Amino acid sequence: MNRRDLFKIGGLAALGAAAAACGSGGGGSSGAKQLQFMYWGSTFEQKAVEKMLRQFEQKKPGVKVKALFTPDEYDVKLNTLVASGRVPDVGYVPMAMSFRLAEQGKLVDLFPYLKKYPQLAGYLPDAYLWYGQDKLHGVATANEVELLWYSKQAIADAGITPPPADAASAWTWDEMVQNAYKLTIDQNGKHPDESGFDPKQIKQFGISSSITYGAAWYGFLRSNGGDFADEAGKRCLLDSPEAIKVFQNLQDLIYKHRVMPGPGQLAATGDDVPGTNILLKTKRVAMVVDGHWSLLDMNESKTDYGLGVLPKYGEPFTATQVAGASAVFAGTKHVEEAVELFAFHNDPRYVDLYKQGLWMPQEKKYYEDQASIDSWTKNETHPPEFRTAVVDFARDHGVPTFGNRIKNMTTISSDVLTPALQEIESGKRPAAEVLKATAPKITGMLQGWQHTQAL
Amino acid sequence: MRRFETRWGILMALPAILGFAIFTIGPMVASFFFSLTDWQIGGSPSFVGLDNYTRMADDELFWKSLSATTYYTLGAVPLTLIVSFAVAMLLNQKARGLSLWRTIFYLPTLVPAIANVVLWIWIFNPDFGLLNSLLRQAGLPTSQWVYSEQMAIPSLIIMSTWGFGNTMVIFLAGLQGVPRHLYEAVSIDGGGPLRRFWHVTLPMMTPTIFYNLVVGVVGTFQVFNQAYVMTEGGPNHATLFYVYYLFRKAFTESEMGYASALAWVLFMIIMVVTFLMFRNARRWVYYEMAGAR
Repeated sequence: MNRRDLFKIGGLAALGAAAAACGSGGGGSSGAKQLQFMYWGSTFEQKAVEKMLRQFEQKKPGVKVKALFTPDEYDVKLNTLVASGRVPDVGYVPMAMSFRLAEQGKLVDLFPYLKKYPQLAGYLPDAYLWYGQDKLHGVATANEVELLWYSKQAIADAGITPPPADAASAWTWDEMVQNAYKLTIDQNGKHPDESGFDPKQIKQFGISSSITYGAAWYGFLRSNGGDFADEAGKRCLLDSPEAIKVFQNLQDLIYKHRVMPGPGQLAATGDDVPGTNILLKTKRVAMVVDGHWSLLDMNESKTDYGLGVLPKYGEPFTATQVAGASAVFAGTKHVEEAVELFAFHNDPRYVDLYKQGLWMPQEKKYYEDQASIDSWTKNETHPPEFRTAVVDFARDHGVPTFGNRIKNMTTISSDVLTPALQEIESGKRPAAEVLKATAPKITGMLQGWQHTQAL
Repeated sequence: MRRFETRWGILMALPAILGFAIFTIGPMVASFFFSLTDWQIGGSPSFVGLDNYTRMADDELFWKSLSATTYYTLGAVPLTLIVSFAVAMLLNQKARGLSLWRTIFYLPTLVPAIANVVLWIWIFNPDFGLLNSLLRQAGLPTSQWVYSEQMAIPSLIIMSTWGFGNTMVIFLAGLQGVPRHLYEAVSIDGGGPLRRFWHVTLPMMTPTIFYNLVVGVVGTFQVFNQAYVMTEGGPNHATLFYVYYLFRKAFTESEMGYASALAWVLFMIIMVVTFLMFRNARRWVYYEMAGAR
């Protein structure tokens, strides 16, 4: 054997060692019950979730929880785990996928556990996710609600009264538009209704409200007496006069009133526009329709913001329950512990994200019982108007967004609805024309609403 | 001794062979099987014969994605070839700071795909992007670029040309392989630069052009990043590229059977197009050593 042969063998041995090392991963510590918790989120959320998991381990000696933090490509990775039969025990599941997995028997039916764990029976009715009569596969991880955020400075500069913070005195749509005129300024300080206004050089837009993101306009649609689909969930109602008016009004904000940025004007494609906190802080936009979750970023970046309820048509409405699902995966070796972790993982007593302003609780008592309300809202991160603009608004005027409740929504959205909304956003055709062509197409794809029931 | 070397040879090549078998051939066979089934991840596949393939005929978005991809290929490939060939010619001169110029032109290729996309989102910005600023200064009409249904694909074609560095380097290598004595022969016969280009450079470069053409077509048919990161297939499906549509079917809508069928159809399309290009190549590609093709 010469030196070259030795070299070869050495190389092979190294390969073998590497292969062996790959095979031996994943062994848990002996004795303890091992659970896996899979989730997504920002690095900020990662800290809060890790902290929650450590508290769970302290309260449940003998149970160890391994966190699978998966910030990107969550659906792709979870699909892969499902296909290879290596699902976690508890975790987040993208909403549409959760219904599919439940029907495939991949998620634990939580209905039998409601009696044993009373906490599970105390959520908001809209939080529950049903895949059939008495078949419960999870809850939306946290509650959320759409609001009207504004820059206090911009409002003060324009000398107008700030957007109301209680639903009873909500602005009408037209009042909002009038105020948006006063808040829109071009490079020379002119408003859109003044002569010489330059729409190509707008310094500050009056308002921004997404046309392509369903939860942003669903409240307006409901407030004007419209809906996405009829009660059976078999006919799309986006071509109704009520819906057409809402979308024409949104389109008019860009092209007729010129108080709202059009596609690309916020320097991003799709929904990747800069955070609402940045838009308000830089006064690029004076008012923004966005979710409650922005509160965290507002505080982190020390934005001088205010929050109000959405403008209304008839009765004021706002979209709620826009988050993804949480569920227990079938095949977990420790079902009881997994269900306990499920009840624990979004309990405001153990998760800081409520106090920090990212999440809203799912348990009813946090909207009804004064002490419970105070427990998550009486702190520096929640402004004084939070009680009426968010807690009361969500409780009394919230409607669960259609996007999470209509069957086959993923395909409807990517194949038909989003392109149609982009057409409205581009301003090439009036809303009526687009919606009258789109609604029948959606009707052909509708398969009904997901099942809902009282407990 | 010979057998000994053969055995070691195979053994050494084994990682590559195994990798190819397990990670390429294996999934290909599996995806062909799945393309004949209705399979959602988590469920069990049920055999449906050729249903997935016949379904494509009526799938409006299948045709839309195919035409968007073809449009992109027809624009991006010739433009990249022309630009990279022209720049390679320039960089083949004897000039000062040549290697610096070569580095500069190659540099965009080294920018990671996602960073590239983010950069171009800014360049395309309708209000204060680079392109519209230039147009405005020149007093020309501006464009909505990727935000407009009509301009989205032309915009992405312009963007693709920016990364011509790889193609350029291959052209440059080809240009340096053109025998000097042929140029001298043209000069002696009194031919100028144009004749040198037409009668020597171009014919001698046809194998390189052909190679870049095939690689370019195969690559652009699989275009994905721009749609995934930049436009999400929009606006109004304008940039719904084939592989992006396939990805969406597979991973967001979990229709693995249909997605597998889409993958096989793309594979066949690319194979047929490549085959046609090779057949056609006999007419215009010149190999100095006959039979070296």
